Amino acid sequence: MASNRNRGSQKSGARRAENNRIYAHPLPLAFSNPEPGSTFGYVLGLLGFSLTKIENPHCEGVFDPATRSVWITNERDSSILWRRGFFGKGDLSRSEPSWLARQISARKAAGKYMTAEEIREKRRAERKQFKMDRAAAIAKAAAEAEAAFAEGRQAAPAVIPSGATWKPQQLGETAELPEEAPDDKDEDDELEPLKDVEHLQLTLQEAFFLVWNLDCLTVLDPQTSEPLSLQQIWKAFQNVHCVPPELPVYTNRFDNPFLVNYAAYHYYRSLGWVVKGGIKFCVDLLLYKRGPVFHHAEFGVVVIPVYEDSRDQESSPFNLPNANTFSWSWLSTINRVNSQVQKTLILTYVTIPSSSRVSTDLLSSPACLAHYSVRDVVLRRLIPARMRD
Amino acid sequence: MDDNLELPTSAPKPGADAVKEEEEQSSGDEDQGPDWTKIPGLSTARPVIPKRGEKDFEPTTHGGSGLQRHVLDRSRSAMLEALKATRTISNKSVSHAIWYPQLKRAHVTVARGIHFTTMGHSVARPSATSESVKKIQRRLELLPEEALYLVERGAMYCWSPTDLPLPKSELLDDLEGIPMSVQQAYTEMIGTEDLTFERYQVYAYLKRLGYVVTRTTPPSPDYPTPSSAGSTQAFGSVLNRLYRSISSFLSRLVPVFVGGRDWWRPITIGRWLHHNMDNTSLFKSLRFLSSGYDVPLHIQQTPSAPASPYRLVYHLYKPSTPFKKTAPPPPDFQVVVVNARTTPMPTISELTGLFGELPELPPPVPRKRVSFAQQKLAASAPTQTPAPQTSLTPASSQASLASRVWVWVWPWSQADDKAKAPRPTNPFPSLKTGKKMVVVAVVDAGTISFFRFGQGVFTEWPMS
Repeated sequence: MASNRNRGSQKSGARRAENNRIYAHPLPLAFSNPEPGSTFGYVLGLLGFSLTKIENPHCEGVFDPATRSVWITNERDSSILWRRGFFGKGDLSRSEPSWLARQISARKAAGKYMTAEEIREKRRAERKQFKMDRAAAIAKAAAEAEAAFAEGRQAAPAVIPSGATWKPQQLGETAELPEEAPDDKDEDDELEPLKDVEHLQLTLQEAFFLVWNLDCLTVLDPQTSEPLSLQQIWKAFQNVHCVPPELPVYTNRFDNPFLVNYAAYHYYRSLGWVVKGGIKFCVDLLLYKRGPVFHHAEFGVVVIPVYEDSRDQESSPFNLPNANTFSWSWLSTINRVNSQVQKTLILTYVTIPSSSRVSTDLLSSPACLAHYSVRDVVLRRLIPARMRD
Repeated sequence: MDDNLELPTSAPKPGADAVKEEEEQSSGDEDQGPDWTKIPGLSTARPVIPKRGEKDFEPTTHGGSGLQRHVLDRSRSAMLEALKATRTISNKSVSHAIWYPQLKRAHVTVARGIHFTTMGHSVARPSATSESVKKIQRRLELLPEEALYLVERGAMYCWSPTDLPLPKSELLDDLEGIPMSVQQAYTEMIGTEDLTFERYQVYAYLKRLGYVVTRTTPPSPDYPTPSSAGSTQAFGSVLNRLYRSISSFLSRLVPVFVGGRDWWRPITIGRWLHHNMDNTSLFKSLRFLSSGYDVPLHIQQTPSAPASPYRLVYHLYKPSTPFKKTAPPPPDFQVVVVNARTTPMPTISELTGLFGELPELPPPVPRKRVSFAQQKLAASAPTQTPAPQTSLTPASSQASLASRVWVWVWPWSQADDKAKAPRPTNPFPSLKTGKKMVVVAVVDAGTISFFRFGQGVFTEWPMS
């Protein structure tokens, strides 16, 4: 027992060390120090210089207005952007673009052993079976109690399966694993080599963060495949929210969804959080310390845009989500969902500068972002009956 | 967990186990109703509020069953019986008060019991004992919610003053006016002195749990108010203010220098200068957009807007907080009461306004680290009384042996331990509490949800 546990923790320790190595860089720009002990470096350091080298990966992606994302199709680039800061999401995966690896391992397993996905599916099937068994046992016990009550006798004690005692039946054993193919070798040869059809998709906020601040991403025009200039990107990322484009109502708007979302995204990114989407938990963003491979998300963030001038809201063509205060019942709903998964709910208010205070000329460049402000409110339930001491 | 809930209630349980299990399940979840069948001695003078029991009735596809109906009927009649019982109080322990509608106060003429250690305040009133000599006398007075709470509880008898000649009574020594019923007290007291029905419901709920509840805004100069922040806090706030003034000065200064910031290239990564040559400083230089509560809110208020319902109403003291009525300590919580149906969630302006009035919370106390094994041991200690000491020693020596082997197998784990020794402050308790906190009690037709809104401190605790 003890040795078993030791082996387990050793394995997890090894995995942690491996993760620390793979995900060593929190941002795509990597800093490398030459020899730390050199006197030359030390002297330069005293003088305010350093020998640190910056490695800029110069990734490349294609802007896709239809999906409001930037596609990284190059395998090297998508792996760098995922490993250094957990940017983007594989379009065929839940997070890390792992489609190809999963396919390869499934082929390699080919019925000889179970892949991680198959084990998960088996576990889910077992869990479902357990719940059905339990429900049946409960119904049976209730019927028995009912009959006993009608006859006026004591009901026989019933055995209800619990998670600890229930064992999976043999029913799945044979069906789960496909029967071993005798001509395994030949089939392997017949299979055509796998081609990676997956791409990493970056949200526009992520892409702009990488382009604008770190200058480590080149965004290509989907039609011409020419690199877009920063000015073109700035325009294009806002225009995806303007349908049909070129309407006068969309011009000179401080409440373009891209700007509001970017302000919130940049705020948490600049504080060192890894920011991912949170639609699963009724929230806009999830905040991870270091990244999803290290910890669960600690916080669920609801982005709430606040107009400085309510007239701007009345004239808005965008209908921003959460711009109108939501009801108490919705707040309870979100908070229930998030406390259920051990996350703390954060309401993040992003103020939208009023067009009367700030000149709309600033919208032509990211300079306007300086006039948005972000503040966060932590929300938790208080249960007076449990807080008495 | 759900295993427990789905067990049918038919199988009779052994008595002792049932009681224990019930106590475990009712560990403070206040949402459920009481189990009326468990009330001991319904006919006795004192009905007690019992603990909740199990769910008695679960609709099935075949419709209600005989057994379930039987169980439900038994519980229901038990409840009605319990409610039917006459609530009585001994003549010797009841307090008396006279309600003055003009003053909106109840004057306590006979104070009995422990309630008055935390309720009521002393007021100097001219006493009208004789026509000519007006003497100033101090007397104990109750706010409407306090009087109503005591009346509803059956701890106080309230009278209405009257000019009519009062008949002599044999049961009571002296009649002080017309007796007031609970219904009458509700009608007369709610609506006076800013007491809404929702506020009373919150007040009464918290009082029943043992909290001390006082008004935030003193309704009269005689009402005792808590002492302002203690000396230790003052020192901190001086430092804070100094820091804030310096940082705000710097932040005002910064635009002068970076007025020429190239907004198309906000971050310049110096090739040779030390500036942002590692991740920490790179992240620091990324924080150039405005955030946090020191930035002015430019929200334009409509001039005709009605006053915000978000006002601090009650100071809340935990039952464990030592409370002195004449010199109340700083409160543990400050509470706002709103009606869920008519008042929407607070806006950021309203929250900022509330945070402006609130004191800063002390930093959260770091939780003592107790290993899982120790926790388990502590939990099982009361049940297995025989000599836990002896069984403890071999376990610990084994653990140390294991850890020694561990270090040998995995040398850098020790280095890790050494690095942990001067453990940096864990930012998560602070991030999850916030710097200032307001409790909003949302009342939806008698159901109260309490939410804490904390002023976020994400800007003060960057992750890197």
